Amino acid sequence: MGGPGGRPGMNLPALKRALGYSLHHSRFMMLALGSMLVGTLAQLAVPQFIQDILDNVTLALAASGMAGLDSAGLDSLMAESGFTLEQLTAANNNPLQPLVVSSILILFFSIGRGVFAFLQAYMAEKNGQYAAYDFRNELFAKISSLSFSYHDRQRTGELMVRATDDVEKVRQFISQGLLMAGQALVLMVASLSILFYTNWRLALVVVPILPVAMLMFMFFGSRVGPLFAMIQQRLSHLNSILQENVAGLQVVKSYVREKSEQARFGKVADEHMRNSIRVSRFMSVMFPFLFLVANLAIVAVTWYGGRLLIFDELTLGQWSKFMLYITYIFFPIGQFGFIIAMATQASASAARVFEILDTDVEVRNRPGARTLDTVQGMVEFRNVTFRYFEGSEPVLNDVSFGVMPGETVAILGATGSGKSTIINLLPRFYDVSDGAILIDGIDIRDATLDSLRSQIGIVLQETVLFSGTIRDNIAFGRPEATDIEVEAVARDAAIHDFIVSQPNGYRTDVGERGSTLSGGQKQRVAIARALLLQPRILILDDSTSSVDLQTEQRIQQALDRLMEQRTSFVIAQRISTVRNADRILILENGRLAATGTHETLMESNELYADIFSSQLVDDSAALAEAQAGWA
Amino acid sequence: MFDGGRFMMDREVSRAQSVPQTLRRLGGMFAPYWPWMILVMVLVLIVAGSQVYTAVLLGQAIDCYVNPALLSGSGTVGDAAGANCWFERADTQGWGVPALLTGLTHLMLITTAIYIASAASRSLSFYMMSAVGNRVVRRIRVSLFRRIHSLTLGYFNRHEAGDVMSRLTNDLDTLQQSINFMMISVLLAVVTVIWILIQMLIINYVYGLISMALIPVMYLVTNWLSSLARREFRKARREIGNINADLQENISGVREMQAFVREGASSESFREVNAANRDANISAVSYTSALSPTLEAFGFLGLTVATLAGGLLLLNGGTLGGQAVTLGLVITYINLVQRLNQPIGQIAVMWTNVQSAIAGSERIFELLDEEPEIQDPPQPVAVNRLRGRVEFHHVSFHYNPDEPVLDRISLIARPGETVAIVGPTGAGKTTILNLIPRFYDPISGSVKIDGVDVRQMRRSDLRSNIGMVLQDTFLFNDTIMNNIRFSREGATDAEVRGVAELSYADEFIRRLEDGYETVLGERGSGLSQGQRQLLSITRAILADPRILILDEATSSVDTRTELLIQGALEALMRGRTSFVVAHRLSTIRNADQVLMMQDGRIIEKGTHTELLAQGGAYHALYMSQYQALEDEVPA
Repeated sequence: MGGPGGRPGMNLPALKRALGYSLHHSRFMMLALGSMLVGTLAQLAVPQFIQDILDNVTLALAASGMAGLDSAGLDSLMAESGFTLEQLTAANNNPLQPLVVSSILILFFSIGRGVFAFLQAYMAEKNGQYAAYDFRNELFAKISSLSFSYHDRQRTGELMVRATDDVEKVRQFISQGLLMAGQALVLMVASLSILFYTNWRLALVVVPILPVAMLMFMFFGSRVGPLFAMIQQRLSHLNSILQENVAGLQVVKSYVREKSEQARFGKVADEHMRNSIRVSRFMSVMFPFLFLVANLAIVAVTWYGGRLLIFDELTLGQWSKFMLYITYIFFPIGQFGFIIAMATQASASAARVFEILDTDVEVRNRPGARTLDTVQGMVEFRNVTFRYFEGSEPVLNDVSFGVMPGETVAILGATGSGKSTIINLLPRFYDVSDGAILIDGIDIRDATLDSLRSQIGIVLQETVLFSGTIRDNIAFGRPEATDIEVEAVARDAAIHDFIVSQPNGYRTDVGERGSTLSGGQKQRVAIARALLLQPRILILDDSTSSVDLQTEQRIQQALDRLMEQRTSFVIAQRISTVRNADRILILENGRLAATGTHETLMESNELYADIFSSQLVDDSAALAEAQAGWA
Repeated sequence: MFDGGRFMMDREVSRAQSVPQTLRRLGGMFAPYWPWMILVMVLVLIVAGSQVYTAVLLGQAIDCYVNPALLSGSGTVGDAAGANCWFERADTQGWGVPALLTGLTHLMLITTAIYIASAASRSLSFYMMSAVGNRVVRRIRVSLFRRIHSLTLGYFNRHEAGDVMSRLTNDLDTLQQSINFMMISVLLAVVTVIWILIQMLIINYVYGLISMALIPVMYLVTNWLSSLARREFRKARREIGNINADLQENISGVREMQAFVREGASSESFREVNAANRDANISAVSYTSALSPTLEAFGFLGLTVATLAGGLLLLNGGTLGGQAVTLGLVITYINLVQRLNQPIGQIAVMWTNVQSAIAGSERIFELLDEEPEIQDPPQPVAVNRLRGRVEFHHVSFHYNPDEPVLDRISLIARPGETVAIVGPTGAGKTTILNLIPRFYDPISGSVKIDGVDVRQMRRSDLRSNIGMVLQDTFLFNDTIMNNIRFSREGATDAEVRGVAELSYADEFIRRLEDGYETVLGERGSGLSQGQRQLLSITRAILADPRILILDEATSSVDTRTELLIQGALEALMRGRTSFVVAHRLSTIRNADQVLMMQDGRIIEKGTHTELLAQGGAYHALYMSQYQALEDEVPA
């Protein structure tokens, strides 16, 4: 929900770095830039031709009076209109020709302007899309490589927003803002130069207004930026309340909290409204103000230009041209305000994107890490301590034990005692804070992640499937597996019968996150998925929640099959698993409280006896009753 | 004014089904603010009028003051006789240059005043429109949120939650942006264009018609480009949808991805989706990129037509349609044509957005109009503290008629009794539980509590007597303290702690770094499933309900902890009517009644011992469990 953070403003380093992405495909950028220059020049030429038309009309009008004049009259006409005899004669003989020429030129330049403006926009958009493409690919690669500890802290939605909305804001700036800024600058400078060249005195009338307008506008822009950021913050707050109320609708309703949730939402909605109105107050002053300044400049030019015209120091055509160029000067100022707002947003977004890209991957290959060959499956934990954050309470505290190849290790302990941590450390989803984990005598941090993980099969408690067919999901870790192999593991996982009972068999779509499968079916697909890897080491969370007894039993059988011949680590909830385990680890508050077999522990360990007998009493009583009822 | 065409266009592009109806409804929401709206309209007219009349005044400046000054010398350049001057008309004889200059100054001062008034009006109208618009949007937003609370679980079976979300986010944002600036801008642009066109026709209809000759062409071209762009953007939207889906899936499945070493392959397939999106967007923007430049080129052409036609008219004697064409008139027309270009471009660019805002409003209204399937009765039976006798009377239920979920279920739970429901997945266990707090209504039959049909009660009265612990634990992005307190607003910290001790949640909460103030994230910030369930149970205990519903409430809690909370749960269930769906024998064995369900029917009913003795389905189920346990029981 956005950290407290300082006042959001322009983050120049982030913006600069983002702009670097616009050079990844410099061909598009150069084409866009070139088109911009040509197009802008064509745009600048048009008022000149409008002037020509008007001047030629005045000339022709003057010339039309030539006919009956004597030489004195001609002299006075020439003096009055400022035209030479040749000009007047030419205009009198053929008044239309210059008009037609100018019009054709305008037509030509207008089309040119249109074509190049299109090319500019198109190339810039293309460049922006390519930059966004690069951003997203990098983000995706980064996100998929970030360690579990990162994903524990990050919300999916937050990461999504950065990969979509934030990338989109940066793209918009690269696609549009960048060239818009360039174009605005060229247009403004060139127009000013032309005005000075045409009539410097009239141009001077405009000049003082410019910096004033510019400063005011930048001031507005800098104030509006943070307001926009605030709006964004409120909006995301609103959305997260909304999200919670949709996802937790049943909870809200069952505790009759609709009213208070509505009040909470209403409060944020009010703040959002007030912020929005505050922004529009700025905007509704800012833009009309710019219009006013531009219009006042036109009035000034009309007035002063009119005087110059009266005193024959300006032609009518020049006067009209001035008016057109003035719009060219003020138009960019408005754009600058827009661009600043866009750049501010883009820089904030870019900073958020780079924050992800710059996150250290905590777990990664060491320099010189080697590929782990097929392992035997001997595992040793040597004084392993783990904490999620530096300085926080250790979740595992100085845990040591060894496991021989093929052994099954049952891990027992209360909720939060560190069971999951042990199984998460083995495939290096986290790295130990202290101590070491060795497989076949090799510190797992000296092995490459890929070679380590591909030898470990994992069935987690919360089964995540991916959209696609059942086959795709079973073959998730080995897409190249043959149909025969896939079917074999599906049988072992006791899911084959279900699959073939579906109309599309193995090609059945599992839907979003496996939504068309029940919890038990998903779990069996996950087991098949792990089996297919033929891992040397197996990690299981054997809690089979949300399935009925029969399913649970089938899953159990599948799991038993899975564990054969492999070094297995099982977070055990079931007595049978524990009793059959070669080694039992009992964790208490992150420490290894006891280790041994069922028999040794039963005798020596009170905690184990406690855990075991509590379950056992339950079941034997039930069993007794069952037998009684049966008899 | 701003070249935001491409920027605006690539937002959501969709079309409304019934525009007039939606607009009327939207308009209705502005009705309470009618005095403001009238004022806005007046201000808009002032702004549009100022555009027209400053151009007219400019022409007069030429005809009445500048040109006469030019003429004063020789009397040969043009003839201003046809000029229509509003103020003291200068004539070449009586006026000297100084007088003309003064006239020009006066005219420009008037123009300045008009511009200032126009800017003030524009500013005020934009502000007022936004102030009203944001209030309207706030009202819509809050009523939408309220509507969500009245949606039933059934609604979410039929609709994607994401779709509901997007109406409250995307559609509403589009609407808000439109209302804020676009609608007023489009309104202003339309009024301005119409006024300018009328003015051009009034002054000199032939010259006017010539000057506006290009407008129909502009309209056609814009329409053509927009519809092409719309089609392409629809494709692009699908592609971005694919990107979102791919991202969503891979982020939430990142653990699997790493476990199965699929980072490389997933990145590869994401690249493909990503590239498809990029290319779809590029082909879409090729049309939008063409829009602004095309309009601009037409703008220049329009300007040329007006200039050229004016020049030719001046040369050919200066009359047209019986009216004089003066230099000033030509300048006025050039300016009017120029002032047409900007609003026309604006309309073209913003039209698509206004359209999608209307389409969004339509979707918003659709959700607002969603008739709540479950409503409070008009005259509810007053209930306070229920005793907790729950009766199901021939209750049937289904989501769609072909697949019955519950088939004539009847049961009676006396106050304080515990009812355990067992049966295979899909037997209808959870549905039974959901009927008690009226998350669904039965299709036929009735659910009564203390003899009163639950449909006769106010839902808030009913539900405040019921505590639920669900299979999918939902926790809010808030502190643990507030999450527990959710079930009873106003419970003190000490009460929360006391209850947490009862449920054995206190132990692990206190071990967390921030204890009760730990803020829970999406995944429960490192809490295990079991810990989340403990919190959910604690929350239910705090509510102190008369009827307790536990749906697999302890499925993820480890056995030892479960044993501990079992005591708490039993204490909790004592004196309350409890409905329990569980797989653990221990829970089922102690129940006063066990309902064995299959395919939506209760096939066996009785105590655990009775049912076992029957040797039926429950017995079979039990024996399969017994089989599993056989080798675990020490001889």
